[in-house]
Amino acid sequence: MKKDKLLKNTNKSSFGPGTLVLQIIVVSAALFFASPLFIILSYSFKTKREIYIGNPLSLPESLNFNNYINAYEKLNLKVTFLNTAFYTSVSVLVLAILCGAAAWTIARNKNKFFKFSYFYFIIGILIPAQALFLPIYTVGFKTGLVNTRAGVIFMFIATNISFGVFLMTSFMSTVPIELEEAAKIDGCSVFGIYFRIVMPLLKPAMATLIIMLSFQIWNDYLMSSLFVSTNKLKTITVAIQALFSQQSSDYTTAFAAIVISVLPICILFISMQKYFIKGMTVGAVKG
Amino acid sequence: MNTHDSKFKKHDRIQYLILLLPGLIIFTIGLIIPMLLGFYYSFTSWNGMTAEKPFAGLSNYYRLFHDTYAAQAWIFTIKFTLLNTILQNIGAILLAVALDSAIKLKKLFRTIFFIPCLISALVVGFIWLKLYGNVLPALMDYLGKDINTMLFGRDDTVLAGLIIANNWQWIGYWMLIYLAALQSIPQELYSAAKVDGANAFQQFFFVTLPMLAPALTICIVGITTGSLKVYDLLVASTNGGPGRASTSIIYYIYSTAINGRQYGYGSALSVSLIVVLLIVALIQLRVLKRREVQL
Repeated sequence: MKKDKLLKNTNKSSFGPGTLVLQIIVVSAALFFASPLFIILSYSFKTKREIYIGNPLSLPESLNFNNYINAYEKLNLKVTFLNTAFYTSVSVLVLAILCGAAAWTIARNKNKFFKFSYFYFIIGILIPAQALFLPIYTVGFKTGLVNTRAGVIFMFIATNISFGVFLMTSFMSTVPIELEEAAKIDGCSVFGIYFRIVMPLLKPAMATLIIMLSFQIWNDYLMSSLFVSTNKLKTITVAIQALFSQQSSDYTTAFAAIVISVLPICILFISMQKYFIKGMTVGAVKG
Repeated sequence: MNTHDSKFKKHDRIQYLILLLPGLIIFTIGLIIPMLLGFYYSFTSWNGMTAEKPFAGLSNYYRLFHDTYAAQAWIFTIKFTLLNTILQNIGAILLAVALDSAIKLKKLFRTIFFIPCLISALVVGFIWLKLYGNVLPALMDYLGKDINTMLFGRDDTVLAGLIIANNWQWIGYWMLIYLAALQSIPQELYSAAKVDGANAFQQFFFVTLPMLAPALTICIVGITTGSLKVYDLLVASTNGGPGRASTSIIYYIYSTAINGRQYGYGSALSVSLIVVLLIVALIQLRVLKRREVQL
């Protein structure tokens, strides 16, 4: 089994009194971080009667899935889940290809236009899309992109492309130029080089990008709520907000809805932790 | 030979352009044009609906500097940002150092700290609303204690309540960045410090912290810009209240432009936010990068 790189135990001193203090800090912090999660999970199985009597920290009397069935219907989960999954997966796949291509062409061309393009893209990191939600919505509305699937996806691509280009650029050193030069001598076109040689090499970078952006797009509220108002097109986060405002007293259903909405992203993260950590730490180590 | 070569290069260049342009075009239509339009709307008194957009000169900007609600929104946003930046960095560094030591069950703890950041901010707001408003009061009842836990209910505690919620969500995320940076510190530096007689604290302040500088830059910039644009967290928790106590600048823009139909003024507020974001990011990158070089 490959060792977890982030938790490697180099020649750090063994368990001593100092470590005990750290262990206590970590355990108490873990209690703070885990107890809301525990409460959500436990409440999502409780009946309405149970939340008014007894110890809030106790486990539910039985595993009753009524709240989940209720949440499933209130969220219109069959539709909203598919919508969210569709918007997220199409946007991140297109982003991976576009950002990989943009970062690679920028890295391989010394021409001023390409260098300028990099800084042009970076504007989107300095000015986050949320600060521009008003005019982005207006442009979307005027071009007929609001309340269409293509429009939502277009908006997600436009608002995340800066981060994607930045991330992909930092991975460019992992693509050896020698391979490309050999291919060029063999008469391979630029497209051929990108799609046949560079893209396969960029797979780990693309995996990182896809995971980093999936969870942000999946969780987005502000932009999605502006771009989607018809029931047929709603995302889970938009539907859950409606559920929260209707069900503020019946929060066991709301908690079940939370579990449902968080679960897919948690599974994705836990199975692909490696890539996620890589993406987050780009730049943090080398500066 | 030479002409053939340059023709070949031109052909190549076109293919490179075809690879770059789709991204550039989408970015321009979806973000740059809106930015320029927003700038233009900020000089009009448009209501967001009608066809005509009456030119209003600098009146929106004049109003911006005399609007007590805008001032309140800025004060809340700045307080929220400063507290988050300080607390989240300290918390994240502390946890990262702890997870980098010889303690037990690191992997489990790392996952626990990290999970909250996978939850959407909207949901996090609702979770803490229910914790403060329902679960903790029930617990206090059960324990027979008389402590008011409804932090979102009073304007002097709502900020603290939101800071706790936001730190709960994000500390684990920044912790991972610090953890990666810690792991990349060469072990020889610690050995050398030990030879020079440095104790654990001196090692932390003179070896660990300086080596964390690049990570610190990323985290400070990330937390500040993230907090300045806070909105989702407020939607299902405080709704900007009680009163206006937790109305952030984006929340204020939203209610002014979308609910209040003052699109022109909302655009001027957006421009002010963009200016602040740019200034903050540039100052931080400058100062922090210079410090990195010195260290």
